[in-house]
Amino acid sequence: MKKTIFNLAFVTISGILFLTACSKSEPSPIVTIITKTDSIKVNFSPVAPFTFFSFKNDALVANSDSATTKWDFGLRFTTFILNSHAYGPGNAAAILQNSIYANVTTAPDAGYAYDTTTIQKGIKDGSWYDYNPVTHGFTPKAGQTFIIRTADNFFVKMELLAVDYEPFVGPTPSRLIYRFRYTYQANGTKAF
Amino acid sequence: MVICSFFNNCLAQKKFNDSIYLSEMVVTATRTNKSIGDIPVPIQVITKNYIQQTGSQKLIDILQQQTGLVLADNPLGQALQGYPNPFGSGIQLQGLDPAYTLILLDGEPLTGRNAGILNLGRVAIGNIKQIEIIKGPTASLYGNDALAGVINIITEKPKFNNTSIQLHHATNGTLGITGTAAIVNKKAAWQLFANRYSSDGYDLDKNIYGKTSDPYHNYSFAIKLNQDFNEHISLQSSARCFTQKQFNNYQIYTGQTPDVVSGTSSETDWSLNNQLRVKLNTQFKLIGRLYSTGYKNNSTVFLEKNNSLYDQSFLEQFLLKPEIQMEWGKKQNQLFIAGIGYNYETINASRYATSKQLNAGYFFAQKEWLPISKLNITAGLRADKNTYYKTQISPKLAIAYKPIEKLSFTGSIGTGFKAPDFRQQFLGFTNSLIGYTLLGANELNNGLIQLKQQGQIDPQIDITPYLTDHRLLAEKSVGINMGFRYKSKNSTFCGNVFRNDISNLIDRYNLPFSKINNQAIYSYVNINKVFTQGFDLSIRQNISKQIEINAGYQYLEAKDKQVLKNIKEQKIISRDPITYVSSIVTKAEYGGLFNRSKHSANLQLSYANVQHWLTASIRATYRGRFGYNDITGDNVLNDDREYINGFVLLNATIGLAVHKGLQFQLGMENILNHMDKVRMPNLSGRVYFINCNMNLSKLFSTIKNEKNNEKNNF
Repeated sequence: MKKTIFNLAFVTISGILFLTACSKSEPSPIVTIITKTDSIKVNFSPVAPFTFFSFKNDALVANSDSATTKWDFGLRFTTFILNSHAYGPGNAAAILQNSIYANVTTAPDAGYAYDTTTIQKGIKDGSWYDYNPVTHGFTPKAGQTFIIRTADNFFVKMELLAVDYEPFVGPTPSRLIYRFRYTYQANGTKAF
Repeated sequence: MVICSFFNNCLAQKKFNDSIYLSEMVVTATRTNKSIGDIPVPIQVITKNYIQQTGSQKLIDILQQQTGLVLADNPLGQALQGYPNPFGSGIQLQGLDPAYTLILLDGEPLTGRNAGILNLGRVAIGNIKQIEIIKGPTASLYGNDALAGVINIITEKPKFNNTSIQLHHATNGTLGITGTAAIVNKKAAWQLFANRYSSDGYDLDKNIYGKTSDPYHNYSFAIKLNQDFNEHISLQSSARCFTQKQFNNYQIYTGQTPDVVSGTSSETDWSLNNQLRVKLNTQFKLIGRLYSTGYKNNSTVFLEKNNSLYDQSFLEQFLLKPEIQMEWGKKQNQLFIAGIGYNYETINASRYATSKQLNAGYFFAQKEWLPISKLNITAGLRADKNTYYKTQISPKLAIAYKPIEKLSFTGSIGTGFKAPDFRQQFLGFTNSLIGYTLLGANELNNGLIQLKQQGQIDPQIDITPYLTDHRLLAEKSVGINMGFRYKSKNSTFCGNVFRNDISNLIDRYNLPFSKINNQAIYSYVNINKVFTQGFDLSIRQNISKQIEINAGYQYLEAKDKQVLKNIKEQKIISRDPITYVSSIVTKAEYGGLFNRSKHSANLQLSYANVQHWLTASIRATYRGRFGYNDITGDNVLNDDREYINGFVLLNATIGLAVHKGLQFQLGMENILNHMDKVRMPNLSGRVYFINCNMNLSKLFSTIKNEKNNEKNNF
């Protein structure tokens, strides 16, 4: 009976700027800001293992590395964890700011929230999306920018763009696709 | 706003006779019988003639052809996956959702609303005398729910013996049979009514298992007695019942494979309405009313493969309402009325923990003055004391100024309220797919304690700060209406400007902590403030003795005050779902509340040829574009892609009388075949119908007359 309607979303891959390892003496403008649009898939289950992500490498991190500082955030169903205190050895923390992504040019100096306990999280459950009980859709609230300090103290701004269901047959979806964009400042400053 | 008037019964009469208009009495606006020209609030009347002329069997269709009455989906749900909104649709009045209009049958409330929507299919239309629609808050007379207005469906009080039968057949295997009989003697008038209506339903998308709308059949019976014991004492007693059965058949998923479920949903209601009028003297009248009504629905579906129960839900409601009203005054337009009554109500439903009981006492009073002969002032007040929320005081003041007989200006200000419904107070529900929990405000404390005991809330979370009194307040409105009405022999022209400010609207919210499955706990809170404003215009014009035009238009703005404030502070940001570009929502982009059309209009052309016993009417209803759902992640209507485009529903009916007692009607509904199977699956597409209207009394009497004539000829 159910015909599932999915929003088609186009992933725009913004230009990836590479840091060229050029000649030693010649001073050239060093671009340290990396902007990407990416998507990760997580299981549609509140008990599945977390999926870990590293901004520096723009890659998923294996679960076996969960006790290292290799990852920045973890995601399970609709729950974000950060690599700090309760969940990891890192120094990751976050601020959820109400502003247009492009207008966020500096990361704040203070106000970052850690995952102090498993309940007191840096990114609060349910804070970032609207749930539609009719369509079962999770829509990231527009105009919310996550400012994240990574596990190893670099600064990132990130925006969630969409949460879609991976096409499925049967009653229960198997995976959610998170689409997001982020800007990583590789030189350690707070400027984006 | 008005009333075309042809009909079967009066085919032989001269059309558009002034007396038809002058005799137009209404009762809903003041709880006393009054001529429509003296009513100080906006009122529309749909006559029996109009209903008969449309040939329609559906009350909802007749209502949505009136100015400012818009058929709207329940905001709680929406059409999904090819199935209509499970909560149904109803009439939106002055931009307020269907839950905010009180629906009365012979002055008494119908119960049994599903998430705020009353299934108007429960009201058979074959015995309706007229429908009165009051716009604007009318709580000063009717209390709860009369926030946007009141729709009062008044059944026939027969004046002479009559027996008639109507047969109806339409597309989608729709069959209707209606029988009415009136027995009138000097002091008593009996009206008997029976109706059976059935439809095979329809299917808009063959690729989706099952029908879009499932087949059903229903029965209605009514009996009404008007008895005058003597000059001073009269009794009106009526009983009615309705029962409907629908056959459900659809596909679900219980493992990784699809399964078919089938079953039935049934809906039953009944009411007993007794009214005793005692005229103590020329100035003093007492009316005693005893009303009781019951409603029940039940939906049960089974898995077809093994016949095991898949799902069952029910709702039962009962209301007992005694009331005494007194009228005091020499002249009809200077009356003082006052009344006192009590509501005893019980409700039981599958999603509530236990059966609930609601007791409410109320008192109302209303006084009319004529300080000068052209000015009428009506002031009213009502107090409602309820078990669960605090006492409501609802005042109203209305003024009518009539500089000349043909013209009147009206102005009124009043308040309305809507008690938190049972769902918002008592729901206790956990979604099995996602795992969130929804708790009614009064169930929140128990629910939280229970979830904690079950280990569904982390033991480290301290819930004690949330174990407070969460009782909801009634939703409230203040409405202002200012209008005019001009009536001459051949035309009526009226208009009304309105503004409604609604506060304390109840909305769902997230508790600040989650369950151990990371899913939210939701409850209800009084939070939103909205307003609706606009105007409507109606015109009736007789082009000739045969042709009449009715036209109407409503302009509407409906907005959320908090959203406007947030827009001003540049706090609302929208994100394009394709380009992912974010931008600040501006005031100009904000389209107001979802599901409201800025423009809506209707146009009706009627023709009646007395010599040829021919009648025809064509009726167009326009609904301007309206917001459907948010796609830009801001929960606000601001993007063109969030709208459903405007559309026209066009209906036409031709009636031909072949005999004084026999008329055939041919009709077409939704002639343009407008459909939107994904977003508006409740529109079935074009429908053809044929009616055969037989007045047995006239058929019989004519035959007798002809025989007499033959005798005379010999």
